Amino acid sequence: MPFIQRFLQFLGIYITGVMTLWGVKYFFGLSDYLVPPPLELLEVAASDGIRDLLAAANTMLVAVAGHFVAVLLATFVAIIGRSSTLAGNLTRMAAFNLQAYPVVAIAPIIFLFLGDGLASRLLIASLICYFPLLLSFIGIFSQPVDEVEHFFKATGRLNISLELKIRTFENLDKLITVIVGSGTTAMVGTIVAEFLAATQGVGYVIRKALYQSNLAKILIALFLIGLFSSIYLSLLEGCGKLVKKRMIGI
Amino acid sequence: MKIPFTKKRFSIFLLLFLVFCLTSCSDSTRQKGGDQGQSQPKHIVYRLKWLFNASVVGDIWAKEKGVFELAGLTVEVKEGGPEQDAIKDLELGRAHFGVASADQVIRAAAKGAPVLVVAQLFQKNPLQWIYRCDQVHINSPQDLKKYRIGVTFGGNDEAILLALLSKYHLDPQNLDLYAVHYDFNPFWKGLVNLWPVYRNTQGILLSHKMAKIGEKACFFDPTRYGIKFVANSVVTSQAIYDQHPELVVRFVKALLKAWADALSEENLENAVALLKRYAPETPKPILEEQIRATRTLVLPDGVAMPGMIDMAAWRQTEQIMVDQQLIDKPVKIERLLKPPLL
Amino acid sequence: MFLRLSKLSYTYPNSDQPIFQDLNWDLEGPGFFSLFGFSGVGKSTLAKIASGDITGYTGHRTTSDSATLLYSHNNERIPGWQTVSEHIAQVTPPQKARLCREIAERFSITANMDRRFARLSMGQKNRVNVLRYILQDFDLLIGDEILANVDEPTRNLILFEIKKLFPDKTFLYISHNALEVVKFSKIIFVLPQTPDGIVTKVLTMPGLDEHAGGETDPRNVERMVFSLLKMAGSGEA
Repeated sequence: MPFIQRFLQFLGIYITGVMTLWGVKYFFGLSDYLVPPPLELLEVAASDGIRDLLAAANTMLVAVAGHFVAVLLATFVAIIGRSSTLAGNLTRMAAFNLQAYPVVAIAPIIFLFLGDGLASRLLIASLICYFPLLLSFIGIFSQPVDEVEHFFKATGRLNISLELKIRTFENLDKLITVIVGSGTTAMVGTIVAEFLAATQGVGYVIRKALYQSNLAKILIALFLIGLFSSIYLSLLEGCGKLVKKRMIGI
Repeated sequence: MKIPFTKKRFSIFLLLFLVFCLTSCSDSTRQKGGDQGQSQPKHIVYRLKWLFNASVVGDIWAKEKGVFELAGLTVEVKEGGPEQDAIKDLELGRAHFGVASADQVIRAAAKGAPVLVVAQLFQKNPLQWIYRCDQVHINSPQDLKKYRIGVTFGGNDEAILLALLSKYHLDPQNLDLYAVHYDFNPFWKGLVNLWPVYRNTQGILLSHKMAKIGEKACFFDPTRYGIKFVANSVVTSQAIYDQHPELVVRFVKALLKAWADALSEENLENAVALLKRYAPETPKPILEEQIRATRTLVLPDGVAMPGMIDMAAWRQTEQIMVDQQLIDKPVKIERLLKPPLL
Repeated sequence: MFLRLSKLSYTYPNSDQPIFQDLNWDLEGPGFFSLFGFSGVGKSTLAKIASGDITGYTGHRTTSDSATLLYSHNNERIPGWQTVSEHIAQVTPPQKARLCREIAERFSITANMDRRFARLSMGQKNRVNVLRYILQDFDLLIGDEILANVDEPTRNLILFEIKKLFPDKTFLYISHNALEVVKFSKIIFVLPQTPDGIVTKVLTMPGLDEHAGGETDPRNVERMVFSLLKMAGSGEA
C-alpha cells in the first residue's frame, strides 16, 4: 500500500477519533482540562511540534534499528531451529516457550542493567518483535516445498543454501507480511520502553505529558506515532515489492 | 458486498463515538451539572492521589475507624496512582471528593475544570532531595552546581527545582540534571548525587537502606530556602459544593478530625497497625517513622489543626507556574479555595 | 539395469490397512515400460518406493550396482526466480548442451525459454520438466503422469523422441491413458483393483513398443486396450 494511501487511512481514523472526543466534549460540556479544544491542539503543535517531531523520529530510528536486528537474528536462529538436530530442537522449544512471555514486563530489568540509553531501547525494540519473527521464520524454513525441491534432491543438487532460497522465495508474500507486521510491534515496543524508563523518544514525551495531564500533547504525540508508523510500514512494503520484482521479475 | 464509502466512514465514526461514551462517561452524576436537583449522594467516592502509604494515613483512619460513618457518611476510599487523576474523576462524576496537588488544581482550573479546594492536607511539601551526607555538602543552593541532580522532567519536582534556581539566580543550563524515572538504581550506583523523594515515605525507606550499608542520608529541603509549593489538598467539584454544601462540611469535618486523630502521638500505635494492613511489606518501625514524618508535614510547628489553607503558599505556587509558563496566566487562586469550615 | 522388489509390504502412515502385501516385482531394462492401474490403486506409491523416495516398507528393494533412479511427477516446478533457459542451463551437463537445444526444439519449447515457469501453460510446464529430467544422468526414469497436460500429438512425439534418443535407458511411464500405454510400452505392469484394496501382485502384459514410423493394426490395439482395462479392473489376465 503506498504511503499516501496508508497515511490518509490513518489520518481518517485519527480525525474521526479526535472529532468523536470533541463531539463528546461539547455534548457533555466537558472542560478543556479533560478534553483539550482544537485551538489548544494547534497551539501545542506550534510550540512543541518540532521538538516532538524529532522525538518521534528518534523513536522510529530506534524501532527500525531494533527491527532490523530482530530480523537478522531471527533469520540466523531460524536456520538453526529448522533442523531436527539437538540444537534445532532446543532452539524451537525455547522459542515457543519464550514467545509467550511479555517482553515489556522485563523492560524495567533491562533498564536496570543497561541504563536508560540507546542500548536498552534497542534491545527492547528487538526483543518485542524477535519471537513472532522467529516462529514464522522457523515455520517457513522448515516446511519443504516439494514441487520445487524434489528435482534438486533427486539429482543430488539440494544444499542448505538452495533449500533456504527456495523456501524463502516460495513464501515471499508471507515473509513480507510478517516483517511488515512486526514493524508495527517494534514501534509499539520502543514507545512502551521509552514510556517506562527512557529519557528520549515519543514515549518519554507521552510520559511527561501524563505527569502534567496534558492531553493535547498526548494527542499530538499519537498523531506523530501514526505518521511515522505509516512511513515505516510503507517503506517496508516498498522494499518487499522491490525484492519481489527483482526475484520474480513482476 | 462492498460497503459504500460514506456508510463505512459513518460506521467507524459511530462506533468510536459509542466506545468513547461508554468508557468515559458514567451513568451517575453529570460533570458540570453534577447532581443537579438530585438528592445527596448516598455512596461517596473519595479518590486519593497516590497508593496507600503513610501520606494517606488520615484518609484511611477516617474510613477504618468509623469517623466517616459517625458523620453519617458512606465513603469508599479509592487508591490513587500514576494514571489516576482525582480532578478528572470529579468532572466525570466518578468521584465526589479527591486529593490533588496544587499544581494539578491550578493547571485544571486554568483549563476550565470546575474544581475547588476544601482543605489543604500538607502544610509543607514532602518533596525533597536525598543525598549521602559524607559525599555531598550543601550549605546553600549555590552548592547544587557541584553535583548531579536527579529530576523528573514534567513532574512537580522539576517545577520546584526551577523555582529554586530562579530565586537564587542559577541557570539550569549550568547544572548537571539527570532525568529520573521509576527506579533508584542510578542513585544507588552513585551516578546521581541528589535524588528526588517524598520525605515522609520514600525518604524514610531509602535512608534505612542506606544505613544498612553504612551510609548516612541527608535531605535537601527547598522549603528551607523559601520555596513553598503546595502539595496534597482535598478537592471537590463546583457542582457538589453548590448543591450539597452540608455534605461538604460533614465530609471535610470528619476527614480533618480523622487526620488529627491519626497523627496524634497517643494513637501512633493504632495508626501503625492500621497502616500495616494497607502496606504489609513495610516494617512497623519504618511505618512509625513515616507517620511521625507525615505529622511534621501536615501539622508543622505553629499549626494546630490540619487542613488550614496557606494562601501565601498557594499564591507562590501559582506564580511559579506562571513564571515557568506551565499556565498562560493566573487563575485567580482565591476563587478556588473554599474551606467550608471557615 | 534391473529393479527388484521382493515381499514388499507397505501401509500408509495413519492407516490400519496395508496397500501392498508381499508384493513381488521385477523390472529389467533397458526399454520403455509402463505402470498402469485405476486411480488410487497405488501406482505413485509403488513408483516412489522403487525410486527410493518412500521408505518405511518391509521387504527388499534391489537395483543394479550404482544405478541412478529418478522419479518425477507433473506438479514439479522450477525455481520462480529463474527463467526456463537459466534453469535448464544450470542443470544440463555441459556435454549435453547441444542435445538440450535439439530436444527443446523438438518439444516446441524453444520459444518459451526466456519466460518464467509461472508464465507457461500447463502443457509447456510438463514439457520443460520432462526436458530437464531426461538430460540428467540416470539409469531409470520414472515419469508419473509427466505429460498429463500435453496434447496427444505432442505427447506421442515426445514419447517417440525419448525412445529414439535414449534406447539404452530405462523408462517407467505412469499414465491413465490405456491407449498410450499399450502403444509405447515394451511391457505394461498392471496393479489390479482388489475388493479389499490390498495389492498382492503385479500383473504384466506385453505392449506394442511402437517406434516412430511404425504401423499398427488398430484392431490389435483395441483388443490390447480392452485386455489391459480388464486386467486392471479385475485382475484377470
